Amino acid sequence: MTAVVLESVSKVFNAGRPDEVTALTGVDLTVEQGEFVTLIGPSGCGKSTLLRLVGDLIQPSTGTVTVAGKPAHTARADQEYGIAFQQAGLFEWRTVQRNVELPLELRGTSKRERRERAREMLDLVGLGEFASHYPAQLSGGMQQRVAIARALAVHPPLLLMDEPFGALDEMTRERLQDELLRICASTGTSTIFVTHSIPEAVYLSDRVVVMSARPGRITEVVPVDLGPRGEATRQSPGFFTGITKVRRALRGDAVPAGATS
Amino acid sequence: MTTAVDPVVAADPTAPVVTRRRRGGPWLAVVPPLVVGVAGLLLWETVVKVGRVAPYVLPAPSAIGEQFWQSREVVWRTGLASGENALIGLLVGAAVGLLAAMVAARFAFLGEVSIPVAAALNALPIIALAPILNNMFDSTSSVPRRLVVAIVVFFPVFVNALRGLREVDPIHRDLMASYAASGWTVTRLVRLPAALPFVFTGLRQASSLAVIAAVVAEYFGGLQNGLGSRITSAAANTAYPRAWAFVLGACVLGLVFYLVALLLERLVMPWRRV
Repeated sequence: MTAVVLESVSKVFNAGRPDEVTALTGVDLTVEQGEFVTLIGPSGCGKSTLLRLVGDLIQPSTGTVTVAGKPAHTARADQEYGIAFQQAGLFEWRTVQRNVELPLELRGTSKRERRERAREMLDLVGLGEFASHYPAQLSGGMQQRVAIARALAVHPPLLLMDEPFGALDEMTRERLQDELLRICASTGTSTIFVTHSIPEAVYLSDRVVVMSARPGRITEVVPVDLGPRGEATRQSPGFFTGITKVRRALRGDAVPAGATS
Repeated sequence: MTTAVDPVVAADPTAPVVTRRRRGGPWLAVVPPLVVGVAGLLLWETVVKVGRVAPYVLPAPSAIGEQFWQSREVVWRTGLASGENALIGLLVGAAVGLLAAMVAARFAFLGEVSIPVAAALNALPIIALAPILNNMFDSTSSVPRRLVVAIVVFFPVFVNALRGLREVDPIHRDLMASYAASGWTVTRLVRLPAALPFVFTGLRQASSLAVIAAVVAEYFGGLQNGLGSRITSAAANTAYPRAWAFVLGACVLGLVFYLVALLLERLVMPWRRV
């Protein structure tokens, strides 16, 4: 089954008003089960809007969004996806443990199962021993890991991430990238990931979706095949070739497929 | 959090309530204010004694202290009466203020309208309602004073709570939407806890106001069993040090209310102590 299907989707904000903005136009995109897809593009290209459409946080002006074989609205009601943003957005009055438990709580999961699942998720992101801390006691990187644990807590088949590592330092960022890939691979989760960073997009993705602004649209889809990622990947020629391809696509002077590899 | 808070209405609710432990331990937090206080009292005593200031202008602290000790039983009894009035009025006013804020936050239109209206009403000298209220009830009734306290308390609690309830972190809103949470669930799990710092800012302001209102409301008649009546009668009898002794009693009572509010704030929001 495909994880996400967008068919001729467009989004117009403030339609019919003087400040009308066409955020997205003519978007067709399919994300396969277990696939990692990155959205990249300049500010205002609608990549966050696209992510929010998939999450049914906003509705398309035209076209259809299908998540896990259902309309986006139904998928949201069924908690078919987990979501994480650039800010961790933890609830400061809840302990780390209870932050991760929240989506389970709203699903009506039993207390015992909630606790076990939260522990399991926190161990997965390496924060098991901080379960009873409050968010204010954690560093930015740790808070972001809690947010990812929370997004994964319901074992969603789909993970939506809006620049989740954008505010982190380079070291933390690379470590979390590896952690995220490991988690997605071990759980079979499909991921749509928004980023500004070309290396990050190439490192993480099976496919990089390149977008451009005014109006926001998909200009090119760059497939990336680097095999299992690791420290060596970041130094490999294939990695740099991928970066060059994406950079060219962003500039709009795409080379014919196969010309550089 | 993206909070745009009017500094006049909600005095920085995000600031830590109690200053963090400073370098040098608790001594540094206690000793300097104590030294300044004692020095101030000595200066006051000296100025009054050396300058031969008449007691109706300003009695010496020693004279006030002596009167306080002599009338300690009356101070205690009247203090309890005023404290009871202030507490009941505070609880009623805070409860009504909080409920009203929750209703106003639930309906966008009410929220827009109510803040300027509340600010305008708050500018009324509410204490001045005391004589009118006194005439509405029996002269043996405690209700008028408690009503004045409740009205005075209502505004800071309402305005602060409403601000807190209306400002939801956009990320929290998106998250709760992604969990398909209903409006009431969002209020219970997100709006109320996020508003607590604002509510307590309002309560801290209200706790001192409650005591002031309870004491001053007695100046305008009604049942005369609290601190206010003793201050007026002592002043009318030219017993100025005694009047000041009761003022001191009111001051202590106000401080107790404030400290209890502060303590409650720390107990209710453990995450703000970290």
